Amino acid sequence: MLKQPAGVLAGVLLAFAQGGEAKPIAFANGTTVMAEYGAGTMEETQAFYAPYYWLSLGGGWLRTESDIDGRTREIRYLRANYLVQRWNLDDAQANVFAWGGLGSASGNTFRGNRLDRNVGLQVDYETRRIYAALMSDLHESSAYSQRIDTLQLGFAPYPHDYKDLATWFVLQARSYTGGLYRGVEWAALVRLFKGGAWVEAGVTGQGKPQLMMMFNF
Amino acid sequence: MYKNCRFAFFALAAGFAALAPAAAATIEMDVNGLVCAFCAQGIEKKLRAFPATTDVVVSLEKKLVALSTKEGTDIDDEELRKALTDAGYAVKTIHRESESLDDVRQRIGSKP
Repeated sequence: MLKQPAGVLAGVLLAFAQGGEAKPIAFANGTTVMAEYGAGTMEETQAFYAPYYWLSLGGGWLRTESDIDGRTREIRYLRANYLVQRWNLDDAQANVFAWGGLGSASGNTFRGNRLDRNVGLQVDYETRRIYAALMSDLHESSAYSQRIDTLQLGFAPYPHDYKDLATWFVLQARSYTGGLYRGVEWAALVRLFKGGAWVEAGVTGQGKPQLMMMFNF
Repeated sequence: MYKNCRFAFFALAAGFAALAPAAAATIEMDVNGLVCAFCAQGIEKKLRAFPATTDVVVSLEKKLVALSTKEGTDIDDEELRKALTDAGYAVKTIHRESESLDDVRQRIGSKP
């Protein structure tokens, strides 16, 4: 937990820069690749291709390391992302995404590889100045169950246009189940994007770095 | 004699004007949900895939997507709606303007 107001603000800003809150589907016939380093507790890479604006298919690699006892899990998965509902409003857009997949997991608290089952949900709302997203990502196997819940709130200091550099300040609150972390991990992030490139960077309340890069093409 | 020549000149000019290909069209679309440049890339990608498209302008500020087409060509409204829908957005209106895309760009303050 952050102990000082400045730290809280920094945490908020960082949270909005988290890659996990980016949309899992870019656009029809678009490819998205993403890599995230989450303060040492999680690292993830993903690659998805979207044949339609409401569906993307691909895979990823997720590694988690417990902040409590050092247990690690490494999951390689295939996943389908589905746009359940989109609201295109006059000055805003809101989305509900769901995903599911299967993978193979290994770890230092169990032997061999286990079948990993993955489901998740994301709800987001954004205008040109504010952004809010809630995401829940569950991985289960016969050896573990872990869920990462992430809330992001962000604001843009200026409204960007299509060819502008967009700047967002994001505050993130993240909780882990499955013995990965105690309490809520706060982070403050700065998100920059232009064209098809997206970069986020920030720190958690414990001073650990959070980084994310994403590219659409 | 002079009057006859002048009449012939205007008749010829009118004939050429009638035979000349139509001026390049500028099509403007008012679009809902246009709030994020990173997400709106699909719009430009979709519209540039039309053989008739010469250039595309996207304005989040004006919630506007505009494109120019090659001289004498047009793109059907249904095709345009489908392209925007496939990109994940909702088209409110489609209208054609006589001004060039550069003029539209200047009017809305969009970068080239």
